[in-house]
Amino acid sequence: MGASLLDAVLAETLDPAYAQAARDRAAQGTPSRPARAHRMRGQVLVALTMVVAGLLVAVTYHHAAMKSHGREQIRAALIGDIQKASGVTDDLAAELERLRAQVASTREKLLAATSVGQQALDQLAGAEQGAAAVPVTGPGLLVTLANAKASADQDPVGGAADASNGGQVRDGDLQVVVNALWAAGAEAISINGQRLGPTSAIRFAGEAVLVDFRPVTNPYEVSAIGDPKTLSSRFIAVPEVAALASVALSFDMRFDFAQEDELSLPAAGTPELRVARADTPGPATPAADPTPGG
Amino acid sequence: MIPIIGLAAGVLLGLFFDPTVPLWLQPYLPIAVVAALDAVFGGFRARLDGIFDARVFVISFVSNVVVAALIVFLGDQLGVGAQLSTAVVVVLGIRIFGNAAAIRRHVFRA
Repeated sequence: MGASLLDAVLAETLDPAYAQAARDRAAQGTPSRPARAHRMRGQVLVALTMVVAGLLVAVTYHHAAMKSHGREQIRAALIGDIQKASGVTDDLAAELERLRAQVASTREKLLAATSVGQQALDQLAGAEQGAAAVPVTGPGLLVTLANAKASADQDPVGGAADASNGGQVRDGDLQVVVNALWAAGAEAISINGQRLGPTSAIRFAGEAVLVDFRPVTNPYEVSAIGDPKTLSSRFIAVPEVAALASVALSFDMRFDFAQEDELSLPAAGTPELRVARADTPGPATPAADPTPGG
Repeated sequence: MIPIIGLAAGVLLGLFFDPTVPLWLQPYLPIAVVAALDAVFGGFRARLDGIFDARVFVISFVSNVVVAALIVFLGDQLGVGAQLSTAVVVVLGIRIFGNAAAIRRHVFRA
């Protein structure tokens, strides 16, 4: 075979067996119209083969259609499950909110009656303030950190994630800012509307900065409640902030802060109840379970 | 005429009875269909060429389907199933195109 494989494939579209059979017939001298019985048998065979071919096509078509249909069904069922589950979650969260409010008002009513109770209430208010359990509003400082803009020659698909790209805000940068703000006397801090509690963590996972395991995205706005003047003057004085500012300058990152008259910070995520203890010992006191998996 | 009736009957049978295909056979159905199409087009062209032979047609049909499925099966076992089925589809596709062109020449004289 002199021709290449591709030539053979392109030239020999008809099965050579047909030509071979025709030649054989001619050589044997059989008439091109074979005997009647023989012809009948051949026709039946051909018809049967065509039935098989049709069956194959129909079954394959049906199968493919059913497969996509089934996938759609499963998808719809999953979406339904998700919606149902998030509806349940919403209901539970609303009920939790309601019960919490009920507990708070009952507690307030009971404690407000006595002076000891009043004292405890004041303590509680302070603790709640410190635990970021209540939303706060007031003047403060708004620090903005943002990634450097991607330069024009940078590949937007593959080139953004490499280590040489220094113009990205990292968890450490946010930690420096937050710590400096605490040190400068901030009373409450939130990042992109996510309030920082005493147990909040600022971490880095892949490309995203996580605050309390919830991702926050560029640009990062750190709001701090406090006296804007002292806050800003003390904030600049922190040496880490100066270092961060120079880093931001050299990497073309955005790093600025402004004094704001009105900042409102939401409450942090409700703290989990981990340990509960009955105050008055008694035989029927039910021991509260610690939160499972807390 | 009879082959076309047979084909239609097969399609109707398949659509009405919807036979269940064993799971291990399902990946080879599409490739088997392409192989069957190749055999059918080849047979049609041979008929127009005046050299049709029932024996050759049946044998080429069966062997086409079986070999195509076998190649894909082998490829699956070797981890190159997708590539091999692509190769089978390309080769059979070229043949189907060639035969369809020949049929067109016969039918429309163009």
